Amino acid sequence: MKEVVVHPERCVGCMQCMLACATAHSRTLKLQTAVLETPQPKPRVHVGAGIFNEGFPNRCRHCDPAPCLSACLAGAIFLDHDTKTVMINPDRCINCASCAMACPYGVIRFHEDPFAPPGKTVAVKCDNCDARVAAGGIPACTETCKTGAFTFEEISNAMKRKTREVACAMSAESRTSGIPPEISLVRSMKQACLNR
Amino acid sequence: MYKINSPLTITEDGIQLLKKAEKDNVETVWDRHKAQQPQCGFCDMGLSCRICIMGPCRVDPFGEGPQAGVCGADADIIVARNLCRMIAAGAASHSDHGRDLVEVLASVATNSAPGYTIREEGKLKLLAQEYGVETEGKEILAIAGELAQAMMEDYGMRKKQITLVKRAPEKRRKVWETVGITPRGIDRETSEMMHRTHMGVDNNWQSLLVQGLRNALSDGWGGSMIATEVSDILFGIPTPRPTMVNAGVLKDDHVNIVVHGHNPVVSEMISLACISPLLLELAKRKGAKGINLAGVCCTGNELLMRRGIAMAGNHLMTELILSTGAVDMMIVDYQCIMPSIGKVAACYHTKIISTSDKAKFPGMEHHEFHPENAQKKAMSIVEMAINNFPNRKEVFIPVKPQAAVGGFSVETIVKALGGTADPLIDAIKAGKIRGAVGIVGCNNPKIMHDYGHVTLTRRLIENDILVVDTGCVSVANAKAGFKVPSAIEMAGPGLKEICGSLGIPPVLHLGSCVDNVRILVLVSALANALGVDISDLPVAGSAPEWYSEKAVTIGVYCVASGITTHLGPMPPIAGSMNVVKLLTQGLEDVVGATFAVEPDPEKAALFLIRHIEKKRAGLGLDSRSL
Repeated sequence: MKEVVVHPERCVGCMQCMLACATAHSRTLKLQTAVLETPQPKPRVHVGAGIFNEGFPNRCRHCDPAPCLSACLAGAIFLDHDTKTVMINPDRCINCASCAMACPYGVIRFHEDPFAPPGKTVAVKCDNCDARVAAGGIPACTETCKTGAFTFEEISNAMKRKTREVACAMSAESRTSGIPPEISLVRSMKQACLNR
Repeated sequence: MYKINSPLTITEDGIQLLKKAEKDNVETVWDRHKAQQPQCGFCDMGLSCRICIMGPCRVDPFGEGPQAGVCGADADIIVARNLCRMIAAGAASHSDHGRDLVEVLASVATNSAPGYTIREEGKLKLLAQEYGVETEGKEILAIAGELAQAMMEDYGMRKKQITLVKRAPEKRRKVWETVGITPRGIDRETSEMMHRTHMGVDNNWQSLLVQGLRNALSDGWGGSMIATEVSDILFGIPTPRPTMVNAGVLKDDHVNIVVHGHNPVVSEMISLACISPLLLELAKRKGAKGINLAGVCCTGNELLMRRGIAMAGNHLMTELILSTGAVDMMIVDYQCIMPSIGKVAACYHTKIISTSDKAKFPGMEHHEFHPENAQKKAMSIVEMAINNFPNRKEVFIPVKPQAAVGGFSVETIVKALGGTADPLIDAIKAGKIRGAVGIVGCNNPKIMHDYGHVTLTRRLIENDILVVDTGCVSVANAKAGFKVPSAIEMAGPGLKEICGSLGIPPVLHLGSCVDNVRILVLVSALANALGVDISDLPVAGSAPEWYSEKAVTIGVYCVASGITTHLGPMPPIAGSMNVVKLLTQGLEDVVGATFAVEPDPEKAALFLIRHIEKKRAGLGLDSRSL
């Protein structure tokens, strides 16, 4: 089964994933019209800024066992075993925020949502774009990312690749970090602005 | 290690006013900069393109995603096009500012600009001769009219080269001829730059950048130079005079009017209205002791240079100055005026007036100034400011003002040296002054406010390098106390001796950001006196906290003129190592100068000192190793 794997070192902070995520969770599914909808669709992936203002794509890890699920008194949060996705049922959610307090990653937000009962504030988080994947697509964040900070693949593939990367980095002859010089340059410049 | 809570500014007035702004719930440029983090990496690297609507496009710097835009432009082309459009925008801004002054000059010639006059007939005649305008037996106003016409032709008409290019040393002009970058017309080069960067025109990143050089030269030796020279003709050649700087120049018992922007056309008329007996009398009736005019940004520099008017702050201080609650009116023209200013003013009693037909802002009252109505408008606007004085509420002026001396034009520097540049050249030859660096440019919230300027300046003067500054740097350095004669105590022994004997500070204020052309004229004079090219001189440029497109253009015309230039923040070019290498190394073989980027001013100082010592060795002078 394919899953979204996050590679934070490749994030350039453009926040395109946030726009794509909000659009994917709108009624009209087009950016230009999604922004006109009420309630406004909102992103479920959140790009934060690190110490050097570098981007960090913060996305639900779909933990198992999931602390949010254990904390949900209303029984709104459940695990979809087929897709290994932690889901929230907006009809059952009572907006108590217990899940957000339990979440170690801060990826749960509270707001009205196009797919929740009208006028009701509910807990909202990443659903792994289950609708898109069921229709043969891939998650919106992964599709939109131009730098490969997200990949949608078999987790075993990702592990193999990482093992190979680490092995290469440990080779005596290897000096490659996998980060192109352009990226290293702009990062060192950003750090130098703040590094005093 | 970067600390999240490290101060945003090194200035005492800035620190205190930031606290005041926070208390008053005033959002500042730093809040918005924080809210923008992380900023888009594609844009930061110059890898996003919005030129046509087959796009928008991005190139993946990791090499796996798309490597070309829809049109096929790769990273080199996209980065070069984006940079070239920044150059075009900067050149357009300065040059349009210059055009406004030429229009005032033309109006003065037809007696249709009451209040404006020709203050420097000598300079008018010198310029007329440079432009081939006959002066013998002609009325001053007739000469002014013909000069204005000749200058306008520099903007648009097809010609081999713009007139003031011939001020450059012959060796430099040869370089330009060889590379093919002698600017042919001020507007022409900007137009051609925009044309070349249209989809499907110039798609060779090298030739795009070469046109970028020519475009920047059309500003430095064209639009900006005209702006400075015509300002001198209309408003006077700057001479050194004492002034005051920082937020403490605002007075709690005076009507405080702050001018903000760039063009002296408006601020000069305001400064005249502020000394009108009629309005001073009105101010007294309203309970004020007088009218206090102060500046921020470059229009403030223009007034400081010619009238000794005080400066309240630079770019990043423009919002904080309002949070004193002491500003009865801010009058803006154009460039570098944050559109947030109106919102900040709304938190206080401050009235904000926009004055240019080409620059309107949210939350400002618009009163348009034109040459024919400026004098009357200025009177009525200042009257409005006086009437606003009784509306003041809580006032917080955090510091006492710092003394400074400004107003060093090339003319007055040469005069201070006894009529020729020889004493300066002798001091450089003897090694007492190692060389000179022009520190110019803006503020940028990416660098701790004024830290880049002040740190770099301190290190350079310690090492016997004369510093000349313009624009927002000049305010930072004046606030830091570098611009009083006693500041020689902070200079190295040689610089201290020379400046001490001349009675000048070790850091000379050359004016606003269009006045960077005074540096071009000065280095040309030095090069001619030594019979060398500008690129042989022990001089350099630096923009430690630059932010604007205008600064890009300034940097490029400095480098194209042979002055190696340091930049603090990285321009958006990291996406193309080819462009980076050309600008930081390859240009050495083309124009004899390059860019260097280093955000840390301590390290930048080492680079600049080494550069100057290397140039000294090249001239056969003694050279220190570092």
